[in-house]
Amino acid sequence: MPPTRDVIIIGAGHNALVTAFYLGRAGLHPLVLERREVVGGAAVTEEFHPGFWSSIYAHAAAPLAANIVRDMRLASHGLEIIRPDPALFAPSNDGPALLLYRDVTRSAQSISQFSQRDAERYSEFARVLARLAGVLQPLMLKTPPTLRNPHAGDLWTLLGAGRALRGLGSKDMFRLLRWGPMAVADLAAEWFESEPLRAVIASRGIFGAALGPWSAGSGALLLLRAAFDPEPASGVSFVRGGMGKLAASMAQAATQAGAEIRTSAEVAAINTRNSTATGVTLAWGEDIAAKAVISCADPRRTLLGLVGPAQLEPDFAARVRNYRSNGVLAKVNLALAGLPTFTALGGQGGTALAGRIHIGPEIDYLERAFDASKYGEFSAEPYLEAVIPSLSDPDLAPPGQHVMSIYAQFAPYKLRDPDWHQKRESLGDAVVQTLARHAPDLPGLILHRQVITPLDLEEQLGITGGHIFHGELALDQLFSLRPLLGWAAYRTPIQGLYLCGCGTHPGVGLTGASGASAAREFLKDWKKRKA
Amino acid sequence: MSSNSRYDAIVIGGGHNGLVHAAYLARAGKKVLVLERRHVLGGAAVTEEVFPGFKFSVCSYVVSLLRPEIIRDLDLPRHGLEILPLDGTFTPTPEGPCGSKGGYLWRVNDHAKTRREIARHSPLDAESYEEYGKAMAEQAKFVKPILGMTPPDPGRLSLDALRKVTFLGRRFRDLPEPDQYNQVQLMTMSAVDFLDQWFETDVLKATMSASGIIGTFLGVRSPGTAYVLLHHYMGEIDGAFRSWGFSRGGTGAISNAIAAAAREAGAEIRTQSPIARIIVKNRRAAGVALENGDEFEARVVSSSVDPRRTFIGLMEPNHLPDDFVEQVRQYKFRGSSGKVNLALDALPDFTCLPGPGAHLRGAISISPSIDYMERAYDDAKYGRFSRRPYIDCVIPSLTDPSVAPPGKHVMSCFVQYAPYHLKEGTWDEQRETFGDTVIDTLAEYAPNLKNIILNRQVLTPLDLEREFGLTEGNIFQGELSLEQLFFLRPVPGWAQYRTPIRGLYLCGSAAHPGGGIMGAPGRLAALEALKDWKG
Repeated sequence: MPPTRDVIIIGAGHNALVTAFYLGRAGLHPLVLERREVVGGAAVTEEFHPGFWSSIYAHAAAPLAANIVRDMRLASHGLEIIRPDPALFAPSNDGPALLLYRDVTRSAQSISQFSQRDAERYSEFARVLARLAGVLQPLMLKTPPTLRNPHAGDLWTLLGAGRALRGLGSKDMFRLLRWGPMAVADLAAEWFESEPLRAVIASRGIFGAALGPWSAGSGALLLLRAAFDPEPASGVSFVRGGMGKLAASMAQAATQAGAEIRTSAEVAAINTRNSTATGVTLAWGEDIAAKAVISCADPRRTLLGLVGPAQLEPDFAARVRNYRSNGVLAKVNLALAGLPTFTALGGQGGTALAGRIHIGPEIDYLERAFDASKYGEFSAEPYLEAVIPSLSDPDLAPPGQHVMSIYAQFAPYKLRDPDWHQKRESLGDAVVQTLARHAPDLPGLILHRQVITPLDLEEQLGITGGHIFHGELALDQLFSLRPLLGWAAYRTPIQGLYLCGCGTHPGVGLTGASGASAAREFLKDWKKRKA
Repeated sequence: MSSNSRYDAIVIGGGHNGLVHAAYLARAGKKVLVLERRHVLGGAAVTEEVFPGFKFSVCSYVVSLLRPEIIRDLDLPRHGLEILPLDGTFTPTPEGPCGSKGGYLWRVNDHAKTRREIARHSPLDAESYEEYGKAMAEQAKFVKPILGMTPPDPGRLSLDALRKVTFLGRRFRDLPEPDQYNQVQLMTMSAVDFLDQWFETDVLKATMSASGIIGTFLGVRSPGTAYVLLHHYMGEIDGAFRSWGFSRGGTGAISNAIAAAAREAGAEIRTQSPIARIIVKNRRAAGVALENGDEFEARVVSSSVDPRRTFIGLMEPNHLPDDFVEQVRQYKFRGSSGKVNLALDALPDFTCLPGPGAHLRGAISISPSIDYMERAYDDAKYGRFSRRPYIDCVIPSLTDPSVAPPGKHVMSCFVQYAPYHLKEGTWDEQRETFGDTVIDTLAEYAPNLKNIILNRQVLTPLDLEREFGLTEGNIFQGELSLEQLFFLRPVPGWAQYRTPIRGLYLCGSAAHPGGGIMGAPGRLAALEALKDWKG
């Protein structure tokens, strides 16, 4: 019988690799078990058509938390981040396009086509977001305090947060308190009067979530995202070579730190005895004993699927079942014979298309796209966030040809009609037609199309409900409530079982923060255990 | 100016909150004058004989939230307040022929009966309903003290704020764990998400979720609506939670009882006295000027009208800091409901449960499914009244025959959504079409309705604004959305009933804890004003 491992990490998504790195750095030798043949989870690069490489799932980093990039020395492991400028191109219905740059003054010039007043307020908005982000970012990297029975450390966090808040001055403090529960449409309307800008600002409050711009609480999402990237334009951060290169660099850092990574090693069960994790069983029946298990799978899959409801208190199991994780985001990857021509750019445009291409010209447009999903349908005019990474990273496609990667919302996991396997291509058609309204030559350029629905995300990546953030980003599932009240500190009711995936705080995307915080909490317990 | 035009305090508006406020000040020995624009007291808590012999609770039509300490302090039963029970909610559903499973859901106060009724739809839900009731009662108990509390101001570090925050923190900590869990969910979730965790029957969830949207511009799936669910669960009559009632003589009788208590304590009340402006001297409130030119001096002016009317309508903007004015402008009203009052020749006859049964004595709720509720909201989002709206009806004449001629009835229909801002046309053009939509919707369930209507009064959000001074027709003087509650109501930093003008207070529903015939803002504002008097 093989010796008992210290710790097993389930899944080799980016958060798991971050956890593995920090554990390795602390002198442990974690064993990382990945179901697929490649590491990275949703951060992978695949040749989806001969000669065309795409980050087929996630196409941009969130951006990554700077301290993690530094600690893991990712640059030395081959990570190169590309931040295209202009950051964003948003064609409007008939008029000119909105272009936002990394530079606020340049952005203001473009905004002034729509509204002089908005152009003036934009820089003020950017300053306010930056100030609020200054307070929020530390909270994103900390373990959320438990509200249930706060201990000294939690009170300290709360006190620190309180002090930081007060340091903002009462005006900004009240902004923070008000904006969180607000509808992002209201928030955008308080600042700006032109629809294209409002819609761009509002989109950060709804991306990846089952929220429309008129949904209360979408303001919180905008704030959480701004914590990592206070630029109002929120441009993309590409990884040269695609997201797989990010995973590869992280895997290299983790391995060097002492982690062992096994791919094609699907965990079928987490074994427990007396509510304590004892190891895992692989799909082919092999048992691996371990003193602790850290799961990067989503909370429902971890607790209901791998541990099993029979091992949990019935009340707790019921709460996990009520954790909402039905995804709304689909992904379309296109191999293009050439660069599409957007009407709004008047035929020219290469560099204008290098950043985020936002299709959602009005708040009402975004809301209507959301409406359909409430009734189990998808809109014929979806909200799209597209990128053409081959513009800044030509190796992704043959010379002169391009890769276009499109997030499409809202595609509800649960369709009223049969299921996604029947509807996949009609969603793809809706996405292409929507783009074609702004770039009429696009359909003729498509060499290959790959459509990934929430059901595909579930089946391919094992994410329950296909929710790219491992659980709905709503007020009742954030911060001290993520995934569940009382269990936001990366621990679970099973002793020795931890969560490190996106279903834990902060959970807003590819930041690595969940993985780093989970490692920190795990190591606290580990040291006590050894002492 | 004669000496009798000088008062300790002037209260703007004779709605129920203004009257409660006046009564508390008068009881403390202050010389108080209440000035009401209309010919009748009560604001939105008013009874009017709209058609000869038919008396309507024109706007607000049921009562439950009225604070027990106010009933006690002002001895309202002695002044004529009498609450009659409103038993149950009857929800007809379109699908399923009469008598078959479905057809309707009828919940009453009798637990055993309701349980059997729900079990008809789902035995599992019948079990959960019991637990749900208990859990919500616990939640309401936890939140109730907040209704009786002036919110702390997190912008200023004071002993009072620390004390209150510690008090709330301790109370939360001492809650049993499942209650903590529910509490947090109620503060953050949508009504539907919250109810989904308890129940599976669509119509049950739909009709329950309805109380989560009343007076808001939100749908049943919008986060934040679970809280409004609780807000409506806090009703307390004779100590029984979640019991709603009629006031004998209509809701105007409540206002009249409070007015009687205020007069007995020495307050003077004048109707038909519209105010033109609040007089400010040296950043202090000094009195008010009426539209007819009369002026009244006072040391304290308390406004029970909303902040937009108070600070932008009744005052020169140069008296106020720019930041404050901007915040007042950002305060959201967005009325979303209308009212249709019907004088009936006979009782409506519901296809799914024919005859004049006890189901007509409670609330009749047109909320057959969650999707129905949500689609009603979708219409409103794009500036159109719901083609098939949510309707909450009561027939008070069944319980209180004094409000209609013998054998006849009054039926009061609360209708949502009717957005104040229409995308096309005006409410003056669309009033009757809106009325028709409401009648058509009801007639789908009670086809005889069209033949028994003697008269109808249609109140659009625009009418509520014009007639009752409810800005944008919001029945709560401002949306009950999370960012406009507690220490953020009406605007951040000014949730303690005071304003940037010394001696000027807010005492209406736009202040914490908000709307409904509750009286809490009126009372709390009086207590704060009296505190300042001593200081």
